[in-house]
Amino acid sequence: MLDLRLTRAARPAVQLRRLLVAAASAGTGFLLLSCLGYALNHPEAAGSGALRLAWCGVPAAATVYLALAVARTDPGTRPRPGLSAIGLGPARLMVISALVTALSTLLGSLVALSLFLYLRGDLTKMPFDGAAASFLAAGKSLPLAATLTLLAVVPGVATGAVALALRPRDPQPVARPQRRYLPFVRQAGGPAVEGRTGEAEAGGAEGAPAGEDTPRARAGATGARPAPAPGTDETDGGAPAGLPWAVALVATGLTAQAYAGRTPPTPAFTFTAVPSGAGLFLLGWLLTAVGLILATPGLTHLCGRLLQCARPGALRLLAGRGLMAEATRIGRPLGILCAVTAAGYAMTTLYDAPARPFGPLSALGALVVAGCAFATLLTAAVETRQCRTETTAALLRLGAPVTVLRGAAALRAFALLAFFAPLTLAIAALAAFPLTR
Amino acid sequence: MEAPPDNDVLWARSLHFTHPDGSPGLSGVTLAVREGEILAVSGPRGSGKTTLLRCLSGLEPVAEGEIWFNSTPLHTLGPANRERLRRDRFCWIGPEPALVPELNAWENAALPLMLRGTSRRRAKTTALEWLERLDVGEAARKLPHRLIQSERQRVSIARALAPAPTVLFADEPTAPLHRADRGHVLRTLTSAARSHGITVLLATNDPETAALADRTVNLLDGRPVRTVHLPEVPDAEGRAACSISV
Repeated sequence: MLDLRLTRAARPAVQLRRLLVAAASAGTGFLLLSCLGYALNHPEAAGSGALRLAWCGVPAAATVYLALAVARTDPGTRPRPGLSAIGLGPARLMVISALVTALSTLLGSLVALSLFLYLRGDLTKMPFDGAAASFLAAGKSLPLAATLTLLAVVPGVATGAVALALRPRDPQPVARPQRRYLPFVRQAGGPAVEGRTGEAEAGGAEGAPAGEDTPRARAGATGARPAPAPGTDETDGGAPAGLPWAVALVATGLTAQAYAGRTPPTPAFTFTAVPSGAGLFLLGWLLTAVGLILATPGLTHLCGRLLQCARPGALRLLAGRGLMAEATRIGRPLGILCAVTAAGYAMTTLYDAPARPFGPLSALGALVVAGCAFATLLTAAVETRQCRTETTAALLRLGAPVTVLRGAAALRAFALLAFFAPLTLAIAALAAFPLTR
Repeated sequence: MEAPPDNDVLWARSLHFTHPDGSPGLSGVTLAVREGEILAVSGPRGSGKTTLLRCLSGLEPVAEGEIWFNSTPLHTLGPANRERLRRDRFCWIGPEPALVPELNAWENAALPLMLRGTSRRRAKTTALEWLERLDVGEAARKLPHRLIQSERQRVSIARALAPAPTVLFADEPTAPLHRADRGHVLRTLTSAARSHGITVLLATNDPETAALADRTVNLLDGRPVRTVHLPEVPDAEGRAACSISV
């Protein structure tokens, strides 16, 4: 009951975010049910059905990621120190978050089921003059167990992910060892272990894995902190690691695509019929996307660093350092959005004139994925704003004009756009190049 | 409306304030702060010290009463003008050192100057001088989360003093510190204010802290009082009545 009341008594913006989760879940549920319908209608084409089901993994993952981001920004489940004494402690709040997520995703699944049943013509007649009969399986009876299983996938995974991400942990910041990929750095006496408070506080799903909680890491948290070299300004707690690996992944992916596009003249493949030679090609795309997602936090940090270099004034200083501090939180959703945009750009290039246009299901899937990516980025921005409430209040008390704060936010957004839009387009063009040649 | 006497930098008359939720804040505070003096506003928790400082610094709009700052009627100014006044004339030190986490110590101290349009080089020089004077020169290039609480509080004091404000509002600046740090921080604050002729309003409920000020105003339940002697609490009311042995 308590979580229902907490759910109901929220501001419109929060309800809108939950409705977005429900909508994404509805879209994914509808796609999954369409796969089921296709499989019922074409029992002989098992491979094609499985392929369709595999493609549904992308919107499902996007939906779960959105649900996670929304659960993190939910003000109803913020830690309430005063209410911990009456039982609203961290564990209970985690349960409430998970229940709210389950509620919104289940609502979406129900909508998907109703729409699917409605379109099947059980209630009235076939829609689109029977054009969509191929995936609605109108004549067949729908197997109950399969339907429920498919519809339970997104709520189940989303609830589990939220519970895992928001599980109660000690408030003490967990020290994460700075990952160094060059072994000689450690031997040279460099600071191999570095406490990164900002990251640990930001930690949601990306909290330190269990394997990293070594005694050495703990010693780094409590023991002597590595002092910066005298005479140099310490400007940041540390850049997000992994940029070299990410760049290597992107390069490998692009190379794989180029290689795959070189050997056979691949026919333009569709979602539902992947030719046999396209495996390497898909692998290349996957590697590129993963590399892009991994690279973005580091690139966001770099973007902030560039913004505040060379004798900055107050505006550039606040904008650049803010971007550097929030690189991980903003960078991950931004990377996903970049990957989705690049994929969309490449697809539109491929499907340009001769091939057939998007079917209704591909369009729905693309809409769900793109919408989720965009909504996740906006939610991450909201989360950042929530985390910086105290800093903003302190700045206002100093008498910082509101125009400076807004200008800093606008500058940040502009810098990200100016940095990542050409990058995304370049990667998309490179990815599409072997196929369009 | 009658303008205040000339030698008062800040002057409030019959100030009334009610919090937005209706709970009483201030009821009829009249107070004059002379230029360059250190005035302690003392009283137990909940007596309205912070509210008084927030009203006087223009953070809260006043519904009833008058506040004059150097013949500027603060109670008639709009939010934008009060914000400009706060930026140009006032400074604030809170109980928590609210530093911007991603800027290092000297950048934090130089931020108000840069917000006023001072060049970066001059702002940096001034900030470093103040950090040196407050004994945190060593930590000037560190990020706030690498400093200990008393160092952070000294950085926030340097941030407040660097732009040379006319009035400095210090709301329990030593509340989260141990006694040794407390004395150090307070002495540096008061000596810096005296040597630079800065007027300080110091809210505190610690008699030792109040002793460092030129003058003390005692607040109790939102109104100024001469003494804060409350009637003695009889020890454990009703203990005998509830005792099981009776």
